[in-house]
Amino acid sequence: MDHAATPPRWIRWSVFLMIALGGLALRLPQLGVRPMHTDEAVNAYIVGQLLSGEAFSYDPQDRHGPALAAIALPLSRIRGARTFSDLTEADLRLSSVLAGTVTILLFGAAVNMYGFGPCLIAAMLVSCSPLPVYYDRYFIHESLFVAATFGLILSGWRTCKGNSIMPAALAGACAALMITCKETAILHFFALAAALVFWFWNSRETRLRDFLRPKSMLVAAVTFLALSLVLLTWFGKNWRAPATLTHLIPDLIARAGGEGHQKPFWYYGQLLNAGWSGGILLALACIGLVITIAKRDRSPFGFLAFYTLLLCITYSLIPYKTPWLTLNLWLPLSLFTARAVELFCCMAAKRLGNRASIPILCVMGALAFALIAHDTWQRVFAHPTDENNPYAYAHTSEDLLGLPAEISDLARQNGIASPRIAVIASDPWPLPWYLRRFSQVGFWQPGQQPGEADFYITSTDVSEQCADRLQSYRPEFFGMRPGVLILLWSPVMK
Amino acid sequence: MRRIPFKKCSGLAALIVVCAALAQDKVPLKTQLPRPLFVGTPVPLNVPNLEPPIKGKRPDFLVPAGTINLAKNKKVMASDDNPVTGTLDLVTDGDKAGDEGSWVELGPGKQWVQIDLAKSANIYAVLLWHFHSQARVYRDVVAQISDDPTFKSGATTIFNNDFKNELGLGAGKDLNYVETYQGKLIDAKGAKGRYLRLYSNGNTTNKLNDYIEVEVWGKPA
Repeated sequence: MDHAATPPRWIRWSVFLMIALGGLALRLPQLGVRPMHTDEAVNAYIVGQLLSGEAFSYDPQDRHGPALAAIALPLSRIRGARTFSDLTEADLRLSSVLAGTVTILLFGAAVNMYGFGPCLIAAMLVSCSPLPVYYDRYFIHESLFVAATFGLILSGWRTCKGNSIMPAALAGACAALMITCKETAILHFFALAAALVFWFWNSRETRLRDFLRPKSMLVAAVTFLALSLVLLTWFGKNWRAPATLTHLIPDLIARAGGEGHQKPFWYYGQLLNAGWSGGILLALACIGLVITIAKRDRSPFGFLAFYTLLLCITYSLIPYKTPWLTLNLWLPLSLFTARAVELFCCMAAKRLGNRASIPILCVMGALAFALIAHDTWQRVFAHPTDENNPYAYAHTSEDLLGLPAEISDLARQNGIASPRIAVIASDPWPLPWYLRRFSQVGFWQPGQQPGEADFYITSTDVSEQCADRLQSYRPEFFGMRPGVLILLWSPVMK
Repeated sequence: MRRIPFKKCSGLAALIVVCAALAQDKVPLKTQLPRPLFVGTPVPLNVPNLEPPIKGKRPDFLVPAGTINLAKNKKVMASDDNPVTGTLDLVTDGDKAGDEGSWVELGPGKQWVQIDLAKSANIYAVLLWHFHSQARVYRDVVAQISDDPTFKSGATTIFNNDFKNELGLGAGKDLNYVETYQGKLIDAKGAKGRYLRLYSNGNTTNKLNDYIEVEVWGKPA
């Protein structure tokens, strides 16, 4: 790849730092306003356990790995949290915001692979487009996972290209971060390895053994194993965790079946196409991808094209789909969008000349920016939990935010200093998060007999079992998620 | 003392109601129900202070013969001049389907819609559909009838489940209910008035206030 147009190192990094700071500034406002999604609440609870001194207990079936908690824990401590009840939405989501910012900054390190122009455009897209901004403000594993994936691609490439062991160690660390983030790392490892094989087969001139140096491979493997072990055993405190990894593949296969999250093959395409800007960005990405494949491109774009295709097909074929997984596709697609934009700019300059093409391209760029800005505003800030927002998936209703305040008010009115709250529901999440500041809260499954309490919170299907107990209580509905209601039973005012 | 079985007792009560209705020339209220859009959230049964869900079709509600829907295509006003979604005429257009485009959505918080029946009437029932494509409960639902379009005087409250008096219209004693395709039937008990005003204060999914359709069953006074 010709990098003649690449500016000096300090200018390049200054530019990417500015874009990353812009992305950070866009991700920080109103970070604590959106209600906690169930998955965020579960992750928050884990951080709460760690704050109280417990070790991370790895369970690949119900939870993801410890990497997110390992980053959120020190950040929360720096922000002054000492217990679960001290945590705030903003404290926790800061981890994902920082991971998203690192992803933007990594485009600065990708210039040697993909060129300055495409990396610049892709970094700008990731910094302000609705989908990455939206999910970088979610306390889930995806942003960190994507940053680690990008890190693995960049450091892995450098490992193959040079003799230094530093990139190899970085590649091992990134891969460890991926596997300790989410079990889906296996899919990515497979896609990366297969893309590498395809790319070598396509290149013909380069031999695989020239790329895979034993010393680098060893350093990467040792780093990967060491960091994975440190995180999975939670710094040596829980040695049972690595053994649970033996269930990883069967669990992954079972989960891939859907588990209530089945979606059609084209689900991710629909999400990428959403909004005023989605269609344009997706079309450009497809153009960039098709051109790369059609040209039998031997540059790193060729490798990225195989990886992107494999990833898109794999994710689309798996019935289990959640919208935040789209972030994994967004990263490589942003580079292909950028590549298509660069190609159009070159074509316009060639055919129309600079004097004519520059104003036209500026107008088109401004128009695209306006469309992206509109979508980001609508999705991220104006209607983050709206059912019409395609990124808001089974989201906690804003109505639930009123539940703790209502209990506090009613407790005060009834002269109850420390209310005893009994929750009876088969799936109480995210209630543990919203009730974290009450000291006496118990959770029961339907069929179990709860203890005496001042307030009862029940799912609508279990209230009948407590009918006798609830005779003298006043019910009030709260929306947990769209279409899912719970009941707060409070003592009738004295 | 010998106890009368509950089934016999309720059968007797039903017979008395029917006989009384026949004596007053009453007929069951007949309205066209929309297609159900969700199977319904299970709500508690046999809990005395919560409205039980309707199992199957709602029992017949008797109204005097000649009672008609006076609200059809009548003029609608609202506290929100610029609805978030839809237009106010959707409230009385006769379309009770829960699909998108069938409802008007008023802004967040306390809002009302008002139907002008054109003439004063004796109102026997109000049927109200807020939203029925998912399980929702609308907060602080109050229905009033009056001959005064400002509702400053002569307002008769026919339904009020605002038990915390959030709207300032007085604390209500009626129960919360989950929206379904069958709508909420309010017994207006023949209250007289030209205007019907319906209040609400957001719902369990969001802070907005939706209306698919309102029917006002009565006879011109």
